[in-house]
Amino acid sequence: MPFAEDPAHLSKSRLKSDLVAHNVALPSAASKKAVYVELHLKHIDQKNAADFSSDEEDRADDKKDAEMPVPSCLTDEDLKAMLRKHGVKPGPITASTRVLYERKLHKLLQSDRRERLNEADKAVLYSDSEEEKKQQEKDQDSGSEKQPDPSDQTQKESSQNHVFYPQCFLPSSRLRPCPPRNTESSSNWNSRNALKSSERSQSQCSQIISTSTADHHTGLGSTVLPRSKSTDDSSLSSQYFSITQMVEEMENSSSRSVTDNACEFNGTSVQENWAQSDRPPQEPVKDAFKDILPGSKTTPTGIYVTRRRPIKGAAQRPVQYSYPDSPVSPMTQQRREVERYLVPIHIQILVFIIVACVLYLIYVNVEGSLSYWSYGEDRLLVQAESQDAEADYAQD
Amino acid sequence: MSTTSQKHRDFVGEPMADKPVTALSGIGETLGKKLEENGFDKAYVVLGQFLLLRKDTEMFTDWLKDSIGANSRQASSCAQCLKEWCDAFL
Repeated sequence: MPFAEDPAHLSKSRLKSDLVAHNVALPSAASKKAVYVELHLKHIDQKNAADFSSDEEDRADDKKDAEMPVPSCLTDEDLKAMLRKHGVKPGPITASTRVLYERKLHKLLQSDRRERLNEADKAVLYSDSEEEKKQQEKDQDSGSEKQPDPSDQTQKESSQNHVFYPQCFLPSSRLRPCPPRNTESSSNWNSRNALKSSERSQSQCSQIISTSTADHHTGLGSTVLPRSKSTDDSSLSSQYFSITQMVEEMENSSSRSVTDNACEFNGTSVQENWAQSDRPPQEPVKDAFKDILPGSKTTPTGIYVTRRRPIKGAAQRPVQYSYPDSPVSPMTQQRREVERYLVPIHIQILVFIIVACVLYLIYVNVEGSLSYWSYGEDRLLVQAESQDAEADYAQD
Repeated sequence: MSTTSQKHRDFVGEPMADKPVTALSGIGETLGKKLEENGFDKAYVVLGQFLLLRKDTEMFTDWLKDSIGANSRQASSCAQCLKEWCDAFL
């Protein structure tokens, strides 16, 4: 409903629909247009006037809404254009259909708004992580005393970041007491310690550590970094290593009662998915970690790895350290053993068909040739006889 | 055929001609009266509204719910009825 339009200029049906939209009781169907106009003026224009005054007061708040036009303020053409922009193909916008299309546009705008907010959140998160990463790497290279600053920053920023849900990784680390990689124990695990200790063990994997710690802080590591073996768990593959590393990191850091950065996972694609999908508040989970592992010690990079201990004796089976490539049940194995001696079934069928064909061919040939042979034999006999006869005649 | 009512089948089975709105599936006495009050006194007028909304059943059900206070079942039944009629005869 354009503001400038006089209700008297609107059609009766249009007035009706407007009244319906504003929940005004309709007069009887036979009443004149003047009645509709009156009602329209009475209820709707008053409402608009009130809205105007409130609008003037709340200009600042409405600035946001300026981007998002109110569907009821649009003309028919504008409404059509807006709907088309959102991929909806509207039919004719008449008195009866206008309200519906306005509502549809409103819904679309709301969903757009929600999407934009989500993107904004993500953008903030990513931008923070990039800044932190650069700073971390700079510090690592220079080895200067600027370490406390990024750690503070990371703490601040990470406190704003959401923490990821580490539930899946919990049990693996709890099964075995973690052998301390670094005898140093500090009450506040933070990037400074990590960086220092990483410098010490730099000989093996300097860059990897730095980026892994950077990732740790940012919580948005992009790659799973394979670490060279520097722990006691030699049996793990490098990939598993990094994931459990993060778990240990998290536990240790949580036990150190630092802020959210302790609980952030990094360097795993799973973590990324979590970051992108949803990030529920992690406070209760973090506390649980601290309670569970209060005494675990720190490692040079705070990264711990423990392999899940096989449950020996649970099924009266010996510990099996190397597993076959694909899980095979004992029944399948037995069947395979037996089948090795037997001829495969496809070959059996093939052979059967071949033999059948051969036999059939023989049968056909024999059948045919029997008559032929008999005929041939007769002819031969006849020929022989005739030859003999000729011979006899010749003799005679 | 499994979930359609007799009314539905009656309506969809032949051209609607001059049938009243109460012949539509889902529209009974009360709703029919409300539609007539709104000016939709014949089934073809309701069909007109359906076509105006580009045969969009969702929008049509919304419109029915708003204009005459139909519930979801009634509105969707009417929309489905009209849609099938259109498929058959339009």
